[in-house]
Parts: sequence; C-alpha cells; structure tokens
Amino acid sequence: MSKQGKTRTIEEINQKILKGDAQVLTAQEMKKLVESSGVEVAFKEVDVVTTGTFGAMCSSGAVINTGHSDPPIKIDRAWINGVEVCHPGAAVDLFIGATNMSEKDVVEYGGGHVIEDLVAGKEVSLRAIAYGTDCYPRTTLKTTLTKEDLNQFQLINFRNCYQRYNCAVNSSDEIIYTYMSKLLPHFRNATYSGAGELNPLMNDPDYETMGMGTRIFLGGAPGYIIGEGTQHNPKNQFGNLMVKGNAKKMSPEFLQGASFTKYGTSMYVGLGVPIPILNEGLAKKTAIRDEDIFTDIIDYSVPQRDRPNLGKVSYKELKSGTITVQGKKVRVSSLSSLKMAKKVSQTLKTWIEEGTFTLTAPVERLPTDTICKPMRQTEEIPFVTNVMHPAVTCIEGEKIRAIAERLVTKAINHIVVVDNKGKLRGIVTSWDITRAMAEGKKDLGDIESRNVITAKPDEPLETASKRMAQHNISALPVVDTEHRVVGIITSEDVSKLLGR
Amino acid sequence: MARLLIRVNEEQASEPIAAQIIIEYKVPMAILSAHINNKGGEILIEIPDEMETKIADAFQRRGVTVTLPKQIQVNTEKCFSCGTCIALCPVEAIKTNQEDTVEFNKEKCLGNTCSICVDACPARAIKSLKTNGANHTRKKKT
Repeated sequence: MSKQGKTRTIEEINQKILKGDAQVLTAQEMKKLVESSGVEVAFKEVDVVTTGTFGAMCSSGAVINTGHSDPPIKIDRAWINGVEVCHPGAAVDLFIGATNMSEKDVVEYGGGHVIEDLVAGKEVSLRAIAYGTDCYPRTTLKTTLTKEDLNQFQLINFRNCYQRYNCAVNSSDEIIYTYMSKLLPHFRNATYSGAGELNPLMNDPDYETMGMGTRIFLGGAPGYIIGEGTQHNPKNQFGNLMVKGNAKKMSPEFLQGASFTKYGTSMYVGLGVPIPILNEGLAKKTAIRDEDIFTDIIDYSVPQRDRPNLGKVSYKELKSGTITVQGKKVRVSSLSSLKMAKKVSQTLKTWIEEGTFTLTAPVERLPTDTICKPMRQTEEIPFVTNVMHPAVTCIEGEKIRAIAERLVTKAINHIVVVDNKGKLRGIVTSWDITRAMAEGKKDLGDIESRNVITAKPDEPLETASKRMAQHNISALPVVDTEHRVVGIITSEDVSKLLGR
Repeated sequence: MARLLIRVNEEQASEPIAAQIIIEYKVPMAILSAHINNKGGEILIEIPDEMETKIADAFQRRGVTVTLPKQIQVNTEKCFSCGTCIALCPVEAIKTNQEDTVEFNKEKCLGNTCSICVDACPARAIKSLKTNGANHTRKKKT
C-alpha cells in the first residue's frame, strides 16, 4: 500500500501476486467481508475482487485462419459442420458467428456449437466454394480440421457481459419463444438473465479499472477487453464489453453452444473480470448487493422495439424465484447460470492466488458517456392501426337472415359478433352463412366461431398478417386491452399494402 | 404412491370410467394431468402403491390402456444449471440445490405427459421419451 494508505497501484498488487501473498476474494466473499467488517477494513485487507458471469451471449464468434490449400482458394462461401461461416477478410480467414444456424439442423446446431466443438478438440468438416482467380484458382474445397490445424483461432465477441438485463414476461394468450426463452401466456412464468451482484461491470459501475487491455477470464483462458461492446449503454446501466482471447486455450466447460427453440442458436460464455481494489471507493462499489440492482419487467408479447415496461424488480427478488407482476405472483427463472458464474469468479481467484494471472491497467477506460441510438429508418412500416377499418358487427341472438343481408349490402365477408358492451364474442363469415343455408340452421350460435384469433392496434401489420397465414384465416378483428372490438383487418387489406 | 397413465379411446372418452373406479374401489385417486377431447386422450393418475395392481386391472377390464408414465431424462453432463426450466415446471419438480446445481425430483415430475421444460432447455439436456402407441403394457411387479 502507498504512503497515505488510501490507495494502492496495480504494480503493487502484481508484485504481491508474484510473491504469492495477494489477498484475493470473489465478489461474493467481498460482500460478506464489507458487511461484517466495513469498507475501511475490506480496503486494507483485499487487493483483488474477482467477478464472473455465464450467460447466453449472442454477439459472440471466432475468427479462424485455416492456412492455404494447394492449389490455393479465395473462399467466397464456406460452411463448417453445415453452418455457414462468413469471409470477412482475405482468402482463408473466416468468422464463425455464434447465431448462424446449421442449414440442416436449424436451431439445434449453430456457430456456437461449432466453436464449442473446435474448443473441445473435435474434428469439424469445412466445405467451401469460390469463383476462382488467377492467383487463387481453386473453386471448391472439402476438408476436416481441428483447432490444432488452425493458424489462429481467436474468440472475438463484440457484445458480451451486459451489466444487467431485462426480466421477460408474456401477457398474451399464446406461448411465445424468444431469445429470453419460452414465455408462457398470461404471465405464467418470467425469465431473466445476468449474475446480478457477481456481474463484472456492476462491481465497477464507473469503469475505473476496465477498458482496452484489461486482462480477463474468457471462456476458461486469459483474454482481454478490447473496448466497449456494441450497443454499450452506460447511462442506463446497460454497459457491455467487446472482448477477445485465444480460443485454442479455452475450455468447452466455459464456452457452450446453445439452442433457443423457434429463435435460434447462441453461445454461453463464461467471463470474469478481476477488479483491483485501488481505493476505498472500489471496496465500497464491489460490496454492491442484489437488492441494490434493479431491472425492468418487459412484456415480450408486444412485437415492437419499445415494449411495455411493467415495473421494476431487484436481482434479489429475481433470484428468490418469485416476483410480482401487475399484482400477480409469477415464478421466475434465470437463463444464465449462477453456478457457473461462481465457478468463473472462483477459478479466476485461484489463477491470481497461484501467481499465473497478473492484472493489467487499461490503456483506455471504457467510455461512460456512449449513447445507444435506435435505427434511423427511412421507410415507415405499417401497423395494424394504419390499415384497420371499422368492423361490421352483430349481436348474439340476431337472425341469420338479417346477418346475411348485412353481408350483402356492405359487400363484406366477415361480421364480428359482439356483446352489448362492444366486447368480442365471435365471428361469422359468408362461408358460415352459406353452410347454414345448406344445413338449414337458423341460429347464429350454431354457426359463429367463438375461438377468434385477434390483432392489436399497435402491432406491426406483418405479425398480424403472419398470424392470418398460420391459422389459414382471412380476417382478424382488432381488439383493445379490454377485448372491445375497435376494427377489423382482412387479408385483402394486407395484400394491398404489403403487396402479397 | 404409484403413477399410472390411462389412455382412453374415442368411445371411452365420454364415459365416467375413472369416477366409477374411484367409487367401486374407494381408491383415493389424484389426477395429475389430463389431456382429453372427444377423440380420446390420456390421464395421469396417482394412487396408493398397494392398490396399483388392483386399479390397473380394473381399468384394463374396462378396455382402457394402462401404462407407466415415462420419466424425463436429464443429461447432467450437458446441463450447465442455468435453471431456465425451473419456473416452467407446473409441479415444482425442479430446484437448485445449495451448490446452485439444478436438480430434478423424479417423484414429482409428470414425465412425458407434461414435457413443458424440454424445448426450453438451451443446453438440450432434457429428453422426453414418448410412449409409442397403445401396445405398452404395465410393467409387472415382481
């Protein structure tokens, strides 16, 4: 510790690490120490706090260099184990994106699995095509490779380790499958992601010790922060990291391919950052608890960028397994693994204690003022509300003949059945009327469909149109949150606008 | 407690077979899950162990197919204990232990009659074995 006893430097800490007498605590242990002995004592006693997280990090991938074939090829398109990889640079440099999916085994196998297989030492098959040039004459190539055959195998993840993440719920009538996993209807479950008080960025929220050049734990081996991640949003506590590391040295335990049904593939990444306790402020910051970390409950059933925010919840509540959403108790589970997050922070602690991992100061700290903007769109996309028109309705108990007349005079094919408050009860089509005539039925109740598929005014027209196709129907009554009918859209409206 | 999976066909679906058996044998029967429509379906029941043979026979005499529900298979090598499955489980059969490892309570798990967790597992560590057709017979106790 320096003279005043109020600060210490990374050099001082590294000397202690090399001598084997650095005091290293995991973030969990640090919180307990600060709670029992206070910040001052914790600062005096602790040199490094290790953090960790293990979650699905979609913007992950690896750059590989396969070496040149003979005759050489300038790869145009290539596939590894059936997963298309891209050629971001010269002839035989390829990028394996974690979310690229196998063309045969869609969702079940993807880039994340390819990276995991390579890291595990498995043999993968590479197929490539090219157009052929004078210097690179070859046009097709097939071979098998292991990581040992690659010149470089660098994990380069451009958005990892979000500081915190949303809690996801679904208010709709149907199960939805998202990158936040399977969400049951009517808030029957909730999911969240992130390690809360163990998360690296949460333990150093002003990024005092993190930035380009910070040596970290990445996928089971040393790696580096190379800057802010894409969509880094520090003002909103949604900071994240861009990282890289030598994947040849990584372990499949901390780098695992994943499948999200009806969404796609991803990769779980184990990432931990050592935080040097340079001053009392950092001792205090690393004492942050789950009850101090809040996130928003977001309704993922609304297919828009700005989804409804249904309130705040702390990571303590999330980790308890039950939260309250709109007055209802909802069971919640984590998508990221707390067990593995702890293992990351513990492994990093062991490396430092054993003197095999020293700390680095960032050459440039992570920015705290980046603004994350939505996309500039030059073309507006239509929403249901832009296309819907007033629905022709009838009430229960009306005679079929009267309804048939209305269909003819209004020249339409659908009549929506409502109650006296305007709430949706059913739908009748001209085909239903025709059938009623053929079968001699007179009561509306015998022919109306009561299980009606609907649309919401604020949903994109495209999702409503998809729903019509899925259910093989030609119109959707548009209802508000109270289930009152506010309009109708038909497949004709959609095809006029979207040109299908 | 013993679990039996009762499969009824189109004709049996509208008959109160389970109710008749409950009354006739005075058996305390818990219905754990039921998926029935007018085409038939299946009911997962739980009854005291000592009545298993008697009740299974009673169902079979009425022409109903009786099988043992197949359990969910969890590959603990693949599972990295994220816990996505926990809140989905309708009978709270999945929990984390003190080491934060996800554990399945096979006694509570409804097996392949439920399977709600299977397609939510990002590690694809959960498998549900479908019972195939109506030819499965109850495993005889020895």
